[in-house]
Amino acid sequence: MKPELDKNILIFLLSSIGLIVLPHVYNIPLTIFGFFCLLFGWRFIGIWKQNWLPGKLVILLLAVIGIALLYNQHQGLFGLDAGTNLFIIALGLKLLEIKKERDLYLISYLAFIVASSQFLYEQSMLMAAYILLVCCVLLATLISINSSKVQIFGALKTAAIITAQSLPIAVALFILFPRIEAPRWMLFNEQPHARTGLSDSMEPGSISDLGVSEELVFRVKFAGAIPPSRQRYWRGPVLSYTDGKRWTQAAVQKPLGKPVVTGTPYQYTILMEPQDKNWVFALDMPQEFSSPLTLNADYQLTTSGRPDKRAEYKVTSYTNYKTGLINPSEYKAATQLPGEPSDKIKQLVSQLHGFDSPPDNFINQLLNHFRTEDFHYTLTPPLMEENPIESFLFKTHYGFCSHYASAFVYLMRTAHIPARVVTGYQGGEMNKVGDFLEIRQADAHAWAEVWLENQGWVRVDPTAAIAQERIEQEISANRQTAYYGIPTANIPAYNWLRKTRQLWSSVDYNWHRWVINYDNKSQSNFLSSFGINDIKSMIYGMIAFIAPIIAALCWFMLYQKPKTADKVLLIYNRFCKKLAKHGLLRGAGEGVKDFGERVKIKLPEQTANIDQITALFIKLRYGRVAAEEDFRQLKTLVGSFRV
Amino acid sequence: MQNAIHQLLDSANQIILGKPRQVRLALCCLLARGHLLIEDIPGVGKTTLAHTLAKLLGLNYQRIQFTSDILPADIIGSCVFDAKNHEFKFHPGPVFNQMVLADEINRATPKAQSALLEAMEERQVTVEGKTYPLPQPFFVIATQNPSHQIGTFPLPESQLDRFLMRIELGYPDHHAERQLLSGQSRHSLCESLPVQLPPEQLQDIQQAVTQVHVSAALLDYCQAIISFTRNSPEYHCGLSPRAGLALLTAAKAWAFMDQRDAAIPEDIQAVLAAVAGHRLRAGNTQSEAIVAPILANVAVH
Repeated sequence: MKPELDKNILIFLLSSIGLIVLPHVYNIPLTIFGFFCLLFGWRFIGIWKQNWLPGKLVILLLAVIGIALLYNQHQGLFGLDAGTNLFIIALGLKLLEIKKERDLYLISYLAFIVASSQFLYEQSMLMAAYILLVCCVLLATLISINSSKVQIFGALKTAAIITAQSLPIAVALFILFPRIEAPRWMLFNEQPHARTGLSDSMEPGSISDLGVSEELVFRVKFAGAIPPSRQRYWRGPVLSYTDGKRWTQAAVQKPLGKPVVTGTPYQYTILMEPQDKNWVFALDMPQEFSSPLTLNADYQLTTSGRPDKRAEYKVTSYTNYKTGLINPSEYKAATQLPGEPSDKIKQLVSQLHGFDSPPDNFINQLLNHFRTEDFHYTLTPPLMEENPIESFLFKTHYGFCSHYASAFVYLMRTAHIPARVVTGYQGGEMNKVGDFLEIRQADAHAWAEVWLENQGWVRVDPTAAIAQERIEQEISANRQTAYYGIPTANIPAYNWLRKTRQLWSSVDYNWHRWVINYDNKSQSNFLSSFGINDIKSMIYGMIAFIAPIIAALCWFMLYQKPKTADKVLLIYNRFCKKLAKHGLLRGAGEGVKDFGERVKIKLPEQTANIDQITALFIKLRYGRVAAEEDFRQLKTLVGSFRV
Repeated sequence: MQNAIHQLLDSANQIILGKPRQVRLALCCLLARGHLLIEDIPGVGKTTLAHTLAKLLGLNYQRIQFTSDILPADIIGSCVFDAKNHEFKFHPGPVFNQMVLADEINRATPKAQSALLEAMEERQVTVEGKTYPLPQPFFVIATQNPSHQIGTFPLPESQLDRFLMRIELGYPDHHAERQLLSGQSRHSLCESLPVQLPPEQLQDIQQAVTQVHVSAALLDYCQAIISFTRNSPEYHCGLSPRAGLALLTAAKAWAFMDQRDAAIPEDIQAVLAAVAGHRLRAGNTQSEAIVAPILANVAVH
């Protein structure tokens, strides 16, 4: 390493390492990140203050501290997080130990590993682009280390060219390289990361402000027709048990029969975002699905796969269905009440003919009650700590879906009609670019299910009675109008923004679908479409793919001769070619005159022609004045030359 | 002029038997206004070659035998006090001749060597602040014993560069040797040689040589050779720009002797061993072998 260059190279190297480690701030514990920053900063100052750099003993001490921090965080070195942290600490420590050029290379390679470890945490397209970019900078650093003069832009340009050239190879390897599922033990120390989502309980009275999170929960791509928004109920956990405030799931036995379905089948693919629970939100009522999906007693789909990874499922649902008979455990759970309903409630039920008319009449009466009385839909309801249902029904009249659903179910049960709360998502926004539905956290919903004779479980959505637009609007932007009273859809900028978001979302969807979810199964599917069914034939395929490329490159490098623009030379080369056909090859370093003499011995009958051609060529190429006439003569002579 | 050159070569080949190529190269070197270094073991005809050329060209000729105790003043001359006129008078040394044969130049000390080499380069001599021009034309033919022989001071690379060409004579072949042994003494033959190319005509030829055309294609080839020597691991150190110029000058002279008004790659190839051999590997006398990789690898276009 040339001493006058190290400063620039070090700045370049440290900057690229800074860029690489920066996004890890989200993934690694702050203590580790802080420790790395300390080492990094120390080294950075050390560029100018050589004496401040630590000696061997201090580095040893720092290494011990690093190990202690690691052990404190992970109780060992196994697992994904611990491994990543180890690499980051090692990188930081190695930075303090740059003595030879070799150390620079080692650091660069370590930095590549740290850069790729980012993909263990985040696989979004933006992150991939970012990592590609910083790898490009790192490559530029490597180029600078090797070049005699540090030219940042030149190095960056070369690195960009190298990266661009390597992309096709990366794509080919991505598609063709055998995919191996990581063994389970490699991940055993991985802590599940908490993610927001629907919970398995509901307590409407204790919420005074329901946030409208735009976080994506899942996407759905329909193979054919798309059901209208008012039928798009994505079924989540069913909450049957209540203590008056809180609603939770109840253990029930399997339903007696399978639901009878009629009408249009809707085929679709669900792409679930990572989540905590193993729930899969299918359109009511899922009928055809495959492993690892199972249908539980509440007609909710669950997966046995890893919910914290993105996953794709194919499901067929029917929106017209009859579930049939109710079993005793279902009945018990669906009529459970925390105690004797209050008189006020009973009075309301009897006033709406809950006790003396058929259930469907009472349902209509109740929905009508919500509609005609002064009930309001709001996302910011008042707190109802005590007796939330009564407070809602008789005092506040303000609530969102959970309030309506829970009050509705409570009143049904008071009238001895089996009912339960179903949570899930409703609607979803159509992404016109990618032609798929996006279901976000803001689409979370709760509705009621009532068991009626001859029909089975029937969905009743009391929120629809009070806030029609909540259910029927196709686009969530319009839905927000209901929340905030701002007609956002009419603002051009907003439309433009929405389109951009849809476009991005579509790109992102395809990224996940085709890149992230490309596992060994999709690989073998993809390859079998080319007639490649096993690893062996795939290797043959790869050889068949790579061999011609290498052969072409070899040919190019071996036989590529400097292109000549000289017309005279072109014609003379034609003459040489004619002779070469008869085994008279001109050597690389052989002058034309010598060649002519040599050829004349072999072809005595052509002496005059060869002499003339050689003389003309020498005159045209090396002579003082070249006449157009001579050129023409050479052309005709070579043209008519026959061996 | 061409005729005179032809006759000159013929006459020279009568004396120096079986070495037409070396004779031709030696003449080429003179036509290109270069100095010649002949490196070989004693007794193969180095001195005879120089003497013959001097005779045929009608140049006044002086031989300086270099020994280990020769001084610069013995070569370039010195100022001697003239008692009659009470002043110092310059007595020119043997270097003030049109053709100087520096025999066994590597026997002398570097100090004496450099005195001659400076005169060669400057074509003038400065003694005690006064400059004396050397006669025109001025040639130095130096002979050198192979440096592995005892009592030699091999010329350093920087001084070897002053010689346009280095040639080796080598033993004569069987037939030539027989002729040599059975014929008259070379010395007496040499004395009786007529002048074939008088100095005025020689200067005209030298002028004509500079007019030989060098095309861009030839320059490409010349540069390809130079860059090959600089990049190839074969050579410790590549050809200098001065070597490049020397190569072109020699090629032009060769083309002229071949009766052409434009130099072609073959001319460069013909003189390459003589021009580049001592510049690429000083200690090695196998010039042809030294440049063989160049001839084989550098493409002619």
